[in-house]
Amino acid sequence: MKSKFLKPLLVVPFIILLAFACKEKAEKSSLPKIGGAAIDFNCQDLEGQVWSLDKVRGKVVLLRFWADWCPYCRYEMPIIDKYYRKLKKEGFLVLAVNVRQSAQVALAFIAQLDVTFPVPLDPDGKMARRYGVYAIPTNFLIDREGIIREILIGEVFREEKPLRDLLKNYFPLP
Amino acid sequence: MFSLIASQKSKIKPSILLIIIFFILILVSSPTFESGGADYETVNYKGQKLSILRDSLTQAPVIIRGIESNLLEIKKFSKLSRKEITNTGIPLVSKYKSLLQIEPDQLKLKTAEKISDTWYVSYWQTFQGVIIYESSLGYAIDSRGRIKSLGALLYPYVQAPVTSKISHEKALKIGQGQIKDFKKLKCILLAESILIYPLKKKNSIDYYRVYAFNFFPEVALHPASVVGGWAVFIDTQTGKQVLYEELLKPLGCCIPEDWVPPKPEDMKPKW
Repeated sequence: MKSKFLKPLLVVPFIILLAFACKEKAEKSSLPKIGGAAIDFNCQDLEGQVWSLDKVRGKVVLLRFWADWCPYCRYEMPIIDKYYRKLKKEGFLVLAVNVRQSAQVALAFIAQLDVTFPVPLDPDGKMARRYGVYAIPTNFLIDREGIIREILIGEVFREEKPLRDLLKNYFPLP
Repeated sequence: MFSLIASQKSKIKPSILLIIIFFILILVSSPTFESGGADYETVNYKGQKLSILRDSLTQAPVIIRGIESNLLEIKKFSKLSRKEITNTGIPLVSKYKSLLQIEPDQLKLKTAEKISDTWYVSYWQTFQGVIIYESSLGYAIDSRGRIKSLGALLYPYVQAPVTSKISHEKALKIGQGQIKDFKKLKCILLAESILIYPLKKKNSIDYYRVYAFNFFPEVALHPASVVGGWAVFIDTQTGKQVLYEELLKPLGCCIPEDWVPPKPEDMKPKW
């Protein structure tokens, strides 16, 4: 009689543990990689606009994860904005995702730099985690078909050249 | 009329009703941010038209933009030295003091960087000389010395202790104690300071004077490592922890000369 009750009691935690293990493995294996499809996202920017992968399809997207405490993020933003303004009409989009900070912190930072690209918020870091971001800044270049073409970690756009070289593959730049 | 509606309702299958409820719940639970659809006000400040966005809690300006005029025009800007450029916050805050609700001597330089022809200058706000966590005031100055707008996160009425009751050693011990496996992970105190930490509540802010510690496991210091660290804030008055946060790595920050790369199996994502 006792074993009738004990069996499910033993099986249920086992199933739960198994489910967690599978979830973790699935999350690790689904991290974005160069040549792979970009992971879908759903986030709201400082203007209240909602962004998803479907919405940006057909554009070349620089998906950038940043925070205001990162000095390189500050230096790189005006250079990125220069190319965003230049190539916006040709289909270049920058989504500068602020990771785990408040809207006020992000807004103040963006206003100081006078940059114009959309700034989605990732207040709990969920999106950054899905993209496997472990350091700030991290940039993903996503092509018009939604394929990740570059993953750039750390400071890379201090000078204009690396960004121009990167965008040359998609836009007519001198 | 009512009986007609009632008879139509009764024809709806429970499964369809469930689907409708499901979609309503999704719509209701979609995230919204306070800043969505930013609410700018236009004010006339000493004869100057300004566009201002305020923080909903502190009412301090987050953005100030000049309408039809610049916030400040710095004369002979091209001849200014770097040091003089880093002091441009003083006349700016003096001019808009009653809007910003801080004094110029509360500024402490955060960064000043020239990118292309534009200077980007930013400051911390301080309270009795102590930096307020995440506070900022910054702006861009173009090659002609024009400041068109500013961005800020300021705290107008700070009330915080000016001395510490708990010793640094004691606080450090408490801070280390918050991290599981501190010794096993060979954690290093990478940065520390005394800060004012504004803890935002629904309708008010509590200001704590804290010992702020940033701990990183040794393995995190290598640029290729995917391990992050922790920020731990200890109240200088009570010794209680007021903030514990896992940190992402600021890349390129911290590689000691005697660095030995870790084994790949030691490098696991932490957060």
